[in-house]
Amino acid sequence: MLLTVYVIGVAIFVPQILSLETLREVAIAVLPLLVAVIGETFVLIVAGIDLSMTAVMGRGSVVAASIMTGTGGYLAGNPVAVPVGIVAFVVIGLLVGLFNGICAARLRMPSFMVSLATMMFVGGLAVWYTSWHTRSVSISNLPEVFRRIGYGAVFGMPISFLLASAVALIAHSTLSRTLLGRWLYAVGRNEKAARISGVPVERVVTTAFVISGACAAIAAIIYTSRIETGTPVLAQNLLLDIIGAAVIGGVSLFGGRGTVMAALMGALFLTVLDKGLQLLGLSLFMVLTVKGSVILLAAVLDVARQRWSELR
Amino acid sequence: MPTKTAMSLDQARPADVRRLPLLSLRDVTKSFFGVMVLHGVSFDLQAGEVVGLVGQNGSGKSTTMNILGGVHQRDSGEIVIGGTHYKPRVPRDAEDAGIAFIQQELNIFANLSVEENLLMGRFPQLGKWLPVISFGRLRERARQLLAAVDLNVSPQASASTLSPGERQLVEIAKALSLNAKIIIFDEPTTSLTSRESERLFALIERLRYQGIGIIYISHLLADVMRLADQIVVLRDGQVVWRGPKVTITVDNLVTAMVGRSIETLFPSRSRRGTTGPTVLEVERVSQPGVVRNVSFSVAEGEIVGIAGLMGSGRTELARILFGLDPFESGRVVVTGRPFVKPEPRACIAGGMAFLTEDRRQEGLMMDGSVAANLELAALPEHVRGISSRIQDRGLRQRMLALKEQLDIKSRDLWVTPVRTLSGGNQQKVVIGKWLLRQPKLFILDEPTRGLDVGAKEEVNKAIAQLADAGTAVLMISSELEELMGMCDRVVVMNRGELGRIIERSAFEREAIVKAAIWKGIGT
Amino acid sequence: MTGSPAHARRLTRFFQLLPAIFFTVLVAGFSVMSSRFFSLQNFTNILLQAAHLAVMAVGMTFVLLVAGVDLSVGATMYIVAVTLALYLSASPTWICLLIAIAIGVAFGSVNAFFVVKLRVAPFIVTLATLFVGRGVGLYLSDTRMVLAGPAVSGFAHESLLGVPAPVFLEAASLAAAFVLLRLTPFGRSVYAIGGDREGARKVGINVEKVTFAVYCLCGAFAAIGGFISLSQAAAAPSTFGEHKEFLVIAAAVLGGTSLFGGHGGLLGPVFGAILIQTVQNGLVMIDADPYIYPLITAAIIFIAVLVDSLRASAIARLERRRIRVEEEETVEAVAST
Repeated sequence: MLLTVYVIGVAIFVPQILSLETLREVAIAVLPLLVAVIGETFVLIVAGIDLSMTAVMGRGSVVAASIMTGTGGYLAGNPVAVPVGIVAFVVIGLLVGLFNGICAARLRMPSFMVSLATMMFVGGLAVWYTSWHTRSVSISNLPEVFRRIGYGAVFGMPISFLLASAVALIAHSTLSRTLLGRWLYAVGRNEKAARISGVPVERVVTTAFVISGACAAIAAIIYTSRIETGTPVLAQNLLLDIIGAAVIGGVSLFGGRGTVMAALMGALFLTVLDKGLQLLGLSLFMVLTVKGSVILLAAVLDVARQRWSELR
Repeated sequence: MPTKTAMSLDQARPADVRRLPLLSLRDVTKSFFGVMVLHGVSFDLQAGEVVGLVGQNGSGKSTTMNILGGVHQRDSGEIVIGGTHYKPRVPRDAEDAGIAFIQQELNIFANLSVEENLLMGRFPQLGKWLPVISFGRLRERARQLLAAVDLNVSPQASASTLSPGERQLVEIAKALSLNAKIIIFDEPTTSLTSRESERLFALIERLRYQGIGIIYISHLLADVMRLADQIVVLRDGQVVWRGPKVTITVDNLVTAMVGRSIETLFPSRSRRGTTGPTVLEVERVSQPGVVRNVSFSVAEGEIVGIAGLMGSGRTELARILFGLDPFESGRVVVTGRPFVKPEPRACIAGGMAFLTEDRRQEGLMMDGSVAANLELAALPEHVRGISSRIQDRGLRQRMLALKEQLDIKSRDLWVTPVRTLSGGNQQKVVIGKWLLRQPKLFILDEPTRGLDVGAKEEVNKAIAQLADAGTAVLMISSELEELMGMCDRVVVMNRGELGRIIERSAFEREAIVKAAIWKGIGT
Repeated sequence: MTGSPAHARRLTRFFQLLPAIFFTVLVAGFSVMSSRFFSLQNFTNILLQAAHLAVMAVGMTFVLLVAGVDLSVGATMYIVAVTLALYLSASPTWICLLIAIAIGVAFGSVNAFFVVKLRVAPFIVTLATLFVGRGVGLYLSDTRMVLAGPAVSGFAHESLLGVPAPVFLEAASLAAAFVLLRLTPFGRSVYAIGGDREGARKVGINVEKVTFAVYCLCGAFAAIGGFISLSQAAAAPSTFGEHKEFLVIAAAVLGGTSLFGGHGGLLGPVFGAILIQTVQNGLVMIDADPYIYPLITAAIIFIAVLVDSLRASAIARLERRRIRVEEEETVEAVAST
């Protein structure tokens, strides 16, 4: 069913889209989005939602940049600057994810409110942090090694592709072959039954949010590297894309359903959509409107699918 | 022993003339999913009369009342109210026909005031076209209704501050405001104190004098004997006895409820009589408001049943034993080790298994495949490595073997969603899930509920096999035959306390039922 | 002991007092840290600035009461602002206000449609309409700042009977909300649905109609808020109303409205709005780094939601079914004789 939607999306823009150049652009653009959507998928599977991913990306971006940058960075010129910077990305993602998870799982706060609050806080923190370090709105002059991640290649394979594939493979393996994967689906399908069957529900939910944070971090690494600056508004407009991609791809908002393949399909669809809108020369408002409508449509389909399965 | 009948009240009542019944049921039948639940129920209710409806769990009481209340539609038969045919499609129709159903789960909005609850949806307005509530008239009307049920609370008080007894009175007052001619009470005294129950009975007397017909459903036979004029006994979806209260004694009532039904085949047990060491030891477990001072034990290879009527605390006890709910005092010892951390995971690790009452809500992932459900509890045992990869092969073989053993009818375990299975097969999946862990103690809460005869036999066979293999089994059931056929001992619960423990040799239907129901008011 | 109605009462009262305590601490703290804060002029400023937030919080309360949510109120504000500035700059004030309300209702009905008829989760619907709405607004304004016409911008400076017009409008909106929520059967249905949705259906309340109306109301109040805000600012940049939804929800929740439905009044959200505005004002008065504003706001939202969740969990535990009420009641009964 998704493929039909996908094909329709392509057919509308037939002329421009089906060029090798565009295809290549899409393939490159989809990689970091895929990583983010995979992270969101984990949270959606346990019937939660993470709205703070974009803020995490921005935060990681500036903190890492502040460490790595050649102009007055904490580890400027130091060979470990880049590794430490990367660690900074990941640590921030893990911490925020942990916080979200604990609030949602143990304190029983609605996950959309928690991640909303976290989004505001971490986002604000990123902006504030940036203001300490520079008069402009971003931190540039990042080391060359780091900049290579975005578009560079190693052994003939683009690094970003390797990263994204690694994440996708690990995620797929986790979801389909490990204990955690089974537990995630169980919690999403029926939390009470899962608990009675011995599933550590709170731990599983918290883990899902931690994973989402980590994925946000990895996606941020790629994005930051590609624009070669650390900026708090790194992923400002991506929230819609991430959630939209997940829901379109077939990950259900009700929980218990979703795969890496779904994330991939959704991310591809959204990137193609984006490219198409770009090629049509539409402005920001149009893009927002279209994407918002697409999410709405996907959500309606999700409800329809859920009810259909209940009626059987 | 039954005390005086309500002779004095009878004499005080005005002599009633034989007139058209207020409510009349004739040969009402009903089936659910192909299983016939009501086999032709007939009885009458006169105005100003109380009909006591008694019967065990599953005898058809609730179904009959739900049909009267418009929640379900009857399959065949007739219902006549005051001379006109009655065929409700929605609860609103029942309301319009003058039937009020005071259920166990009260329909009170805790976040609103008493007067708002009383007149929700029927607020007196300032003007016909002005949708503003006239609080003066609201308060006045509320006061009238509260006076009619003798409830002394302020109309403006929040409903959340009312005790269960007071909330029930509000519900009754609401019924009166709807000009109910027939009021059905379903187990009304479960959450009431003695004093509140007395108040309720006095109210019922007053309602009678006003000509309202009352159907009183309760397992507290002493209460039923006191209040009712006529008694109707249901068993297995049929009316087995019907007549004036004065013509029957409580003992006969019990016999009628329990009856001599056809002996269902129960599996023979190979190791009956020879049991091993004690697996579960429950010592004076108490949780205020839930259970009090419960003590018993279960040994290896033994099947101990827990009998009792709804609201006696059986499921609550099971949940406490499995670590889902806390308990304040007492001790639980499993295979020699006292309970340290009441929590499902710890219990499972200690060798316990729990089959819940409601398999849809708490037992199964309805959208998951049969395999996904079967493997859920056993997964941690089939895991290897830091990344906890699941060892599919071993698990796969065990699940296929289980499918054979339990005879689960499903084409492909890994594809078929559990939702599409029959009730019996679904239950077998839940049992299978626990069997994969080879538990030492298996707690089962109503394992054969909602299953047809064939499925019941299969499930009971599986349980018997379990016990023969050495598992200690604790089985909650509302079906006497099942308990008597399967168990070595029966623990009877009554209002959160242990009534009696009856050994197999002393099994007698009446004895069990009596122990479960006897505790009425004043006994 | 646990479970008694008295216990429930004490718990509710405790949670109700928290915002007031918080407010007192806040005012005291800011006053100590800045002399400019503690002045009549400043307090009047706070009230004026909080006007639009209060109105919107009241509208949000309607939706929260039925356990829903509306994240698109900021976008509604923006569309209203753009429409008024671009197309009605020459119209008289009252027409502008009417059109604004109409837009709000229309927007709300779109939300209502998806939530009620298509049964999509409110937060997803309003998240999507948030973006679509802003997109539409940006389309109309061409991403440029728009200037309010003389009627609208003059509104903020007028006063009626000595009361500044915005506050007057705020009071009028509150009065309307009060009548709707407290004095009509509709209002009682809103609470009933929030308290027990199935139960509400059983007593004959048309849950769908009421829910639909509630979202339209929220849209209308959001529009009024947009009107007031535009009037006070006299201009609307492309970021007008951005992130407002969080502040509005925070104001409502701080004021005692529960995200889980069924609990909440009208004075609470107003108070919550004033509280939030006080925080923002106070931060300015003590010359705090402007970058920390969103941090403080986010922290406040978080605390508000945390308290609400704790309260809901505590109440849920108290309402658990009891079998043997005998002992506790007799003890209390004896004690009271």
